[in-house]
Amino acid sequence: MIGRGESLAVAPSIALPRSPRVSRFTLVRVLWRSFFFQAATNYQRMQNVGFAYSMIPALTELYRGEDLKRAMARHLLFFNSHPYMADALLGATVRLEEDVAAGKLPPERVTAFKAAMMGPMAAIGDSFFYASLKPFAAALAVAGIVSDVLWAPIVFLVLYNMFHLGLRCYGLAAGYNMGERVFEKLYQIDLVQFSDRSHYMAAICIGVSGALMVDHAAHLPGAFGSGLELILLLALTLICFQCLKRRITMPWLLYGFSVLSIVLIGVLNTFFPLIE
Amino acid sequence: MLESVSPLARDLIAVTAIGGTLALDRRAAFQLMVSQPLVVIPILGLFLGNLPTALWLGALVQLLWMSSLLVGASVPPNETLSSLVIGGAALLFGRHVGPIDLPVMALCILLGAPVSLLGRLIDIQVDRENLALAHRADLAAAAGTPGVISRLPLIGLFRTFVAEAGLVAAGTSIAFFVVRAVHPALPPPLIRALDVIALYLVPALGLAVAMTTVRRRRALALAGIAFVVVVSGLRYLEVQ
Repeated sequence: MIGRGESLAVAPSIALPRSPRVSRFTLVRVLWRSFFFQAATNYQRMQNVGFAYSMIPALTELYRGEDLKRAMARHLLFFNSHPYMADALLGATVRLEEDVAAGKLPPERVTAFKAAMMGPMAAIGDSFFYASLKPFAAALAVAGIVSDVLWAPIVFLVLYNMFHLGLRCYGLAAGYNMGERVFEKLYQIDLVQFSDRSHYMAAICIGVSGALMVDHAAHLPGAFGSGLELILLLALTLICFQCLKRRITMPWLLYGFSVLSIVLIGVLNTFFPLIE
Repeated sequence: MLESVSPLARDLIAVTAIGGTLALDRRAAFQLMVSQPLVVIPILGLFLGNLPTALWLGALVQLLWMSSLLVGASVPPNETLSSLVIGGAALLFGRHVGPIDLPVMALCILLGAPVSLLGRLIDIQVDRENLALAHRADLAAAAGTPGVISRLPLIGLFRTFVAEAGLVAAGTSIAFFVVRAVHPALPPPLIRALDVIALYLVPALGLAVAMTTVRRRRALALAGIAFVVVVSGLRYLEVQ
């Protein structure tokens, strides 16, 4: 079997035809497979199996025989990026593979592109999706739940996935259309500015949630009453916040303060046996 | 076949199956965020017939693990498995024993929180086991058999499902039976302490964790202003 790239290489005198193109259906298959990008994540080469798995529909369309073996092998090298942003890289890599198959680019260009782009893409994805969008969407939904909005988790899912699925589809298409210049295209969306704003919106939601939790606590049978819940919740929140900033982890605080509460209430009960 | 199984066992099997499937979303497949505490516990609540409590519990647990981020090569505590155990144990208690009061919630949270650390160990072990899949992929590439590589993520998914569903089943069963055994024997001061934990400590700690995810100093001031405005508004409405 001769790969398309190979057939062009043996006929250099003929003007290079248009690169072999993968079909639109193949790109959809690449997109679908990218949802399982991290299913076989491993310590040594991280998401390499996921990347090769996602690329296979395109590779089998572009190559045959030894070319296919070499193409699969070059996508099994170390790869670690953000799973959502990987779609942009997948799209761009498919485009590059088309050029490699046409003999326009050396195969090393594909591996060099992936190695150069996975880090910056991961940084954008981590800071936008995990450090900004997720806390904001979750804080909004928590505020909804404490306000008795039953469908708040659906709001969380819709808000998050609107960006998530949108960027995955757009990233793959932009990557395929722009090739190596995909980063420029994604940079134009200005995710950094949205990230910045989402922190402010998340903060408002957290403040509102706190206030509603105080109100909720005040109306439950176990409440102390007399406005004490406001002081208690506020003081505990600030103490916990300071402890967390000093790198004391959440489980330590949970168990530490729980033991403290039990001891304190036990002692209080000994001296003031008002608690029945 | 399931008719011969007791209702409790049937519910436990359902929690395991739903939990194991939803847990895949956290890293292995899709990442649609249906594995977040805010979503998994209400889904269990829908199935076990107690959505309002599940929503409240989901919100509290979500706040506690708000800062847990799957960034880069780090393997953080698995908040999904912890949420499934907390939610599963509490909701099973509500369905088969009695009402889910504040001490039950507090006990479930205290018993379920360490599961996140066990979940991390499982994630690390699965990553180690998956190394064999990477070697198989190399062999498949050398042999020119893309079909073999296409099957490898399925093996990874199955491995993750078995490991995580197993932990959900074991964790939920242990937490449920401990709460069922301990709850009726709790002395009044301890009940009061658990009330305080569920009503004040967990929300306060959750809010503090959520505040650490806000990376702008001015935004924290905004959180304070929002808090004061809403508290004042609610107090005003109450007085009126």
